[in-house]
Amino acid sequence: MTSTDDLIHSLASTAGARRSASLQAAFAVAGAASLACALFLVFSVIGIRHDFADMAVRMPFGFKLAYTGSLVIGTFVVALYVATPAASATALCALLPTIILLALGVLFDPTGFPIMGRTSTAVVFCVGSILFLSLPAMILMFRAMQKGAPTRPLVAGAVIGVLSASIGAIAYALACKNDGTAFVAIWYTAACAIMALIGAVVGHRVLRW
Amino acid sequence: MTVEQREQRWAEGMLAERRGEALAYERMLKEVATALRRSLAPRLVRAGLGAHEAEDLVQEILIGLHAKRDTWDSARPFLPWLHAIARYKLIDFTRHRRRETRRRVDLPLEDWLEIVESPADEANHPMWEVDRHLAVLPVSQRKIVRAIAVEGASVRNVALGSATSEGVIRMTIHRAIGRLLGAAEPPTSEPSPRNEHDQHR
Repeated sequence: MTSTDDLIHSLASTAGARRSASLQAAFAVAGAASLACALFLVFSVIGIRHDFADMAVRMPFGFKLAYTGSLVIGTFVVALYVATPAASATALCALLPTIILLALGVLFDPTGFPIMGRTSTAVVFCVGSILFLSLPAMILMFRAMQKGAPTRPLVAGAVIGVLSASIGAIAYALACKNDGTAFVAIWYTAACAIMALIGAVVGHRVLRW
Repeated sequence: MTVEQREQRWAEGMLAERRGEALAYERMLKEVATALRRSLAPRLVRAGLGAHEAEDLVQEILIGLHAKRDTWDSARPFLPWLHAIARYKLIDFTRHRRRETRRRVDLPLEDWLEIVESPADEANHPMWEVDRHLAVLPVSQRKIVRAIAVEGASVRNVALGSATSEGVIRMTIHRAIGRLLGAAEPPTSEPSPRNEHDQHR
């Protein structure tokens, strides 16, 4: 009893001490840094498409950007939601645009490109590249999440996994040679699922407070 | 106090903390501690944990509340926020305790091998191992035990060979068995008495 009173007294003595930055700011900084790291890796290790200027104005690249961009924004909002105890669940609606784009991309692929990509190794290279590009994001976003108060570490880790995979994917879109929307929708999402699994396992261990 | 009053009171305490009013914040933390203590202790007892562990958990929740107080949005109600934190800490606490208990009563492979190494196999043990066990006996007892129990001689023959009576031989074996049983006592979990035991040998 007395030890609890002592504890309360010492906790209360730090009342009003201002902490560094808000959770939103920490997430924003980590997100920007993650994107910068992923872009740097794309330019330095993988290399952007040689016909980039030509590709950048066409629909497939637009779809890649829209799909991964909506996923980045959606999971970013959801990550803030899981980092805050008893937050409003309407944050989950932020994933709706991604889901719509995913369904449209798979069901109505206007390009007619094969689902398995242009070459036999396209899927492995594509998924592997996204996983590689998302690693810095994963570290940075986990650090930001530790500033929050995730009450479901497993879910929080999975969300961080998808968020970092989508940051990796948006950078990889500059290099990706496969333009089929179904290819993008299926295999970019597969990379996100793999990162979600990894994130859940890591989150279960790392996100305790 | 109704839920609405409590909500208002504690939310006000949290806002006081943000203004740097330590006293109001301390009063609010004490009220939270009292409320938690009252509700958590019976729950933990029902879950098979001691009532004193409720105090540990109350402290954990208070530390969590304080460490993550910035994640409470003052535009949203305080009680659901506190509930999410208390629930997380309760789950984390019980999981931690379960893991601790499991580790304490764990059955490592070495212990398991000792268990399944049944006495029925003893006939197959090499001779040196029998000698190793018999080494705890004084030389006179060891000779007699080996002759009868290992080599299979009769009590009468041993008595004749060592020029004593059968009664003395039986008595010697009886004392030797007592000694062997003492040496074969199962090792206790605390290492210190075992070490003492080893030194006595």
